Amino acid sequence: MSVFIKKSEMRDDSGVHHTPVLAFKEVSTEPDPRFDSPLWDVTFTLSRGELLLIRLERGRFRLPLADLAAGVLEPGQGTVEFFGENWLRMLPDYSSTQRGKIGRVFEDHGWISNLSIGENIVLAQRHHSNRSDSDIEAEATQLARMFGLPGLPHRTLTGMHREDLGRSAFIRAFLGNSALIILERPTRNLFPGIMPPLMNAIRTARNRGSAVIWTTSEDGVWSDSGIHATLKCTMFGSRMNVIKESDNG
Amino acid sequence: MNTIARVGNFTLEGWREICYLAGIIWQVFAVAVKPRYWTRAVRAELYRQIISTGIDAAGFVFYVACAVGISVVAQVLVWLQIIGQSLALGPLMVTVLVREAVPVLINLLAIGRNGTALTTELGNMKIAGEVRALDAQGLDPFIYLAVPRVLSLTLSVFCLAVLFVVVAFASGYLSGLLLSASAVDPGTFTRSIIFSMSPVDLLNFLSKTIIPALFTGAICCSQGLRVQTSSTEVPKATKRALALSIRALFGISALVSLLTYM
Repeated sequence: MSVFIKKSEMRDDSGVHHTPVLAFKEVSTEPDPRFDSPLWDVTFTLSRGELLLIRLERGRFRLPLADLAAGVLEPGQGTVEFFGENWLRMLPDYSSTQRGKIGRVFEDHGWISNLSIGENIVLAQRHHSNRSDSDIEAEATQLARMFGLPGLPHRTLTGMHREDLGRSAFIRAFLGNSALIILERPTRNLFPGIMPPLMNAIRTARNRGSAVIWTTSEDGVWSDSGIHATLKCTMFGSRMNVIKESDNG
Repeated sequence: MNTIARVGNFTLEGWREICYLAGIIWQVFAVAVKPRYWTRAVRAELYRQIISTGIDAAGFVFYVACAVGISVVAQVLVWLQIIGQSLALGPLMVTVLVREAVPVLINLLAIGRNGTALTTELGNMKIAGEVRALDAQGLDPFIYLAVPRVLSLTLSVFCLAVLFVVVAFASGYLSGLLLSASAVDPGTFTRSIIFSMSPVDLLNFLSKTIIPALFTGAICCSQGLRVQTSSTEVPKATKRALALSIRALFGISALVSLLTYM
């Protein structure tokens, strides 16, 4: 059984336990043609400001981990909890609201084809928040410039260069104040140039209290000492093996 | 399985499908009346669909209405004048066009133009993982995709039906002027149409435009979203949606006619 458990739960000065942002409890999934590998008996907790870095096996890049974490996939066994609540026990409206607190770079593009890239980027914020459109666009434009784009892209999906699409995915993932950010091989086609702005965005998000899950297939990312992962693990078949656990995120 | 069992099975399956579709329509209205579901993103999707199903189709409907007006209204106008039965114009036109032809014609246009496109669009979105991506971002696919499409199709069909009636009568009257030496004056023509319409006719018109459109929207959305993993399922879903929508249209039209004029 591959298990990694926090040595101690975070406590504030009053001794109150902080509810983990995400908790996988003995989670296993069935084989699914959408994914390269199922998961077997995965257990971890991720609290505010922590980062879980996962190294993927060659040729097995599509994992059900992100869909499980977002509650859109039901585990065959075990439970997935978001802020202490089991996804399967949430009512549909409430679970949709909770998913609005998750930012994500999708493994399989995740763009809605009948919307422009700009509309895709701001879609979740316009649905879940009451922020004004100008406010959302201002933040998105700032993120776009940080990630190397001249501004918020307004082209259609077919009109976008692959690298620009990758950068646009970061804008969508980091827009707003997400409690959990899931990055599925975000540096594909962009490594190493994207690392400084990405590290900066992750640092800012973690300082704000966001938890981060980062899956990677790149050796350069895995060996980058500047990432300061709280948990590092590798995939071996369907199992996740912990390599490192750190108390300082 | 013997013949009776097959007939029973077919009937039960049909009834289950009707209940399923009625459930979808009920849920659409249950969502539509709650302001909290109408976020900016959902409203924007509704506007996009209204433009696509309604405004973009207006030109096409205008063209067809002109053609029907010329071929049907003008001929009726001319021949009624010849046989000295001009007073029968209003009741005849209301019976032929308003009660029966226009609601069925507009819904057929909606099914062919919008319904099949809707099924294909949603089917392709499902295969490409876009529906899952919406769900993962907290946008319920039923609220974001199905509700705006069903409502926009229904609203568009009703508005296009009204446009059709007005344009068909207008084009029929104008072409009748060209064909006939002694013309009915426009005021008489308009009054004969309007005063021939009873509240039952209006109820019939409303029911025959709105109810089939609701079912078309529900059928096309459900068939599109039922597609699983293969792109070969999309044309099959589209054919199934087309057949079911046409069956629903004629069934509902017949039922409404029976109920309103019995």
